[in-house]
Amino acid sequence: MGYPFTEEQEIIQQTAREFTQEYIEPVAAEIDRTALHPQEIVHSLAEQGFMGTFLPGDFGGAEAGFLSYALIIEEISKSSGAVASILNHHAAMAAYSINAWGSKEQKEQYLTAMCEGELLGAFAFYEPDAAPGVGEHKVIARKDGDAYILSGRKCYVANGGVAGIYVVFALTDLGAGLKGMSAFLVDGDAPGLSVARTIKKMGLRGCQSAELIFDNVKIPQSSLLGTEGAGMAIVAKAQAAASVAEGAIVVGIAQAAMDDAVEYGKQRIQFKQPIARFPAIQTMLAEMATNIHMLRLAVYHAAGLIENDEPFTAEAAMIKLFAARIGQSALIDVVQIEGGYGYSEDMAVSRYFRDIKGVVIKTCSVDFPETVIAKSLLD
Amino acid sequence: MLDLTITPEQQKIQQLARNFTAQHIIPVAREWDERGGFHEFILAENKKIGLNCMAVPVEYGGPGYDSVTQSLVAEEWGYGCVAFATTLCGNGLSSYPLAIAGTDEQKKLYYGRLVGGGMGGFALTEPGAGSDAGSCTTVAKLEGDEWVINGTKCFATTCGYASIMVVFASTDPDKGVKGLSAFIVEKEREGVLVGAEEHKMGIRSSNTVELRLKNVRIPKTHLLGKEGDGMKIAMKTLDMARPIVASMSVGAARRALDEAVQFAKTYLDVNGKPIGRHQAVAFKLADMATQVEAARQLVRNALRLKDIGVPYTKEAAMAKTFCTDTAMRVAAEAVELMGHYGYSKDSVVEKLMRDAKVTQIYEGTNQIQRIVISGLLLNS
Repeated sequence: MGYPFTEEQEIIQQTAREFTQEYIEPVAAEIDRTALHPQEIVHSLAEQGFMGTFLPGDFGGAEAGFLSYALIIEEISKSSGAVASILNHHAAMAAYSINAWGSKEQKEQYLTAMCEGELLGAFAFYEPDAAPGVGEHKVIARKDGDAYILSGRKCYVANGGVAGIYVVFALTDLGAGLKGMSAFLVDGDAPGLSVARTIKKMGLRGCQSAELIFDNVKIPQSSLLGTEGAGMAIVAKAQAAASVAEGAIVVGIAQAAMDDAVEYGKQRIQFKQPIARFPAIQTMLAEMATNIHMLRLAVYHAAGLIENDEPFTAEAAMIKLFAARIGQSALIDVVQIEGGYGYSEDMAVSRYFRDIKGVVIKTCSVDFPETVIAKSLLD
Repeated sequence: MLDLTITPEQQKIQQLARNFTAQHIIPVAREWDERGGFHEFILAENKKIGLNCMAVPVEYGGPGYDSVTQSLVAEEWGYGCVAFATTLCGNGLSSYPLAIAGTDEQKKLYYGRLVGGGMGGFALTEPGAGSDAGSCTTVAKLEGDEWVINGTKCFATTCGYASIMVVFASTDPDKGVKGLSAFIVEKEREGVLVGAEEHKMGIRSSNTVELRLKNVRIPKTHLLGKEGDGMKIAMKTLDMARPIVASMSVGAARRALDEAVQFAKTYLDVNGKPIGRHQAVAFKLADMATQVEAARQLVRNALRLKDIGVPYTKEAAMAKTFCTDTAMRVAAEAVELMGHYGYSKDSVVEKLMRDAKVTQIYEGTNQIQRIVISGLLLNS
C-alpha cells in the first residue's frame, strides 16, 4: 500500500485480516439478521488481544498505538461494521476516556478488565428527545454525603445492556448548562440501573443501542472521572478519538463494498459486455476509490497524531465530515452498480449500505464537525 | 397547503389521496415494512374511492384522470409509503401498454380486470436482461391460433398477486431488440408460475417475484401491436411511467423534509433551544425544500408537455433522474439531520432512505435515463 508502517503494524494488520476472515466473515450476515450482541466474537477479540490495542501495558493493554488500532478496526469493518462499532465504543470511547482522565485506582480497577475482555465498555452521553442535559429525562447527579445519586435516562447507548462498565454523563450543576456536565464510571450491575428498551436501527444491528434508566443509582464519590464539570472536555476528546476510528470503519466498509462492485461489474454482462467496461460505471468506481484512498490516508495520519500525543481534534473533525459524505455516496453508487441484485437483502452490499450510514452520527450541535474545524481556523 | 396552480378538480383528488394516505397508509406502513407485505383490504379501500385504476379511460369504466392528477396522487402515496406507491403505480404502469397499442377488445379485457379491483403486472426484466432488455430469452412461438410462451422473468413487480399482466417475450430471438413483442397474459393461464419472492432492503411490502412461464398458451389476439413492437411499447410505457415514479419520489422527499422540519422544531439542542435555530441545520432544511420544489416542477413540466401532445421523452427522463436522486439525497440528509433518532426504527426517515434507493434503480436505472437524455442532446 506504500504507507510506511512498522513491521509490528504490518503484522497486526495481517493478523486482523486473518482473524476477520476466520471469525467474523462467516457470521457477519447472521449478526445483522438476528441483531443480537455477538458475545462469542467479543470473546475472540479479547483472546486475540484486540480489546486494548492502544492501551498501556501496565493495565493489560497491548501498547501497540492508535494506528495499529485503526488498522484492526479497518480490517474488521470489511466484514462487519457492527463488530467494529462494538469494539470502537468499548475502546476509543470508554477505555480511551478512562485512560486519559482516570486516576491510577480507576485505571487499575477497570482498564485491566477491559483489556482482557472481562468488561465491555460503553459511553452513555445522549438522552431521549433532547440533547444531553436539557430534556425532561436529563440525567442529574446529586451529591449525597460521600456518594452521588444518578437519576434520569440515557438513550442510544451503544453496547447498552451488555456493557460491564459505563462512562455516564450527568449534570452536577444544574445552573451551569454544559459546564455543569460531569462524567462517572458506573458498573453495569449497579442497583437502580436498568434497560428500558433496545432500540431497533437501520443498520449496525449487532451493536446494541439501548435506552437506560437511572433510578437513584448510588455510586461512590470515587466514581467521578476527572473533575466535576469536566464532562464536555471528556466527551470532546473521546468523540475525536472515536471519529478517527469511525473513519477507519467507513474505509473498511466502503472498500469491501467497492471490491464487491468491481467483481460484480466484471461479471455482469449487459449490451454484450461486462458493465465494468462502461465509462459511467468506471466513473463511479474511480470516484469512490479516490475518496476511500484520501480518507484512509487521513485516518492513518490522524492516528499517528494520537499515537504521538499531538493535537488531533481538527483532523479528527475533518475525518468525520469527509467520512460521512464519502461513505454514503460510495454505497449509494455500489448498490446502483449492482442494481436490483444489490438491493436484495441477501446481498452483502445492502447491509453495507445500511451500516455505513450509522457509523458517523451527529445528534446535537456539539457533534457538528464543521464547528470544530472552523474553531481551529478562527481561534 | 393548497396548490393554486392546479384545477379545483385536481385539488379535490389530491385532497382525497392525501386523506387516504393519512388514514390508511401512514399508520400501517411500518408494520408492512417489517412483515414484508401489506394488508389486502387496502386495495378494497383504495377501490372504494376510485384510485385503484386511475389511468383507465372513462369509456372503459375507469376515472380517466389526466396525467397531472395521476401524478398528484402518486406524490401522496409516495409521501405515505414508497412500497405502497410502487404497488399502485405499478398497477397503472401495467396498463400503459394497452393505451399505447391495445385494441378495443384487448382494452376491454385488461381494463376490465383493473376496474373490477384486480391488479396488473408488468414483466420485462430477466436475470440476464435488465438495462439491456434486448437480451430477452423468454420466447413466444405461434402454434395455430395460440402463442406459446416459455421463459423466466425476474424482479416482476406485483406479479405475485396480479390477476393479469403484460409479458415481454421474443418472437424472433435472432433479431434482438427488434424481435421483442408484448403479450397480455392472464394469471390463471396454465403454466404461469410465481417463483421466489425477493427479500429487499426497502419497499419491502411491494411484491417482487420471479415469474416462470412454462408452455403458457394464450390466444393469438393477446399480442399487443405487431410482432417486434415490444421494445417500442416498452419504451413508450416507461416514458409514461417516468413522471409517475418521479412523483412518488417527490412524495418521499417531501415526507423526509416534513419529518426533518418537525424534528428541527421540537428537538432541543444543548442550549435548550430547538435545533432548527442552528444555522447549519436551518440552511440544510432550506436546501432540502428547494430540491423538493425543483423536483416537483420538473415533473409538472414534463406532464404539461405530454398533455398538450408534444414530445416529452427527454423531460420525463430528466424528471425521473432528478426526482429519484432528490429522494435519495433528501432522505439521507433527513437521517443525518435527525441523528440517532433518524437512524433508528423509531423514525420514518430510516425507512425512507432504504425505500428511496430503489427509485434510482427501477423503471430504467438513472444511468439509462442519462443515455436517453444525452442521446437526445447529441443526436438532434
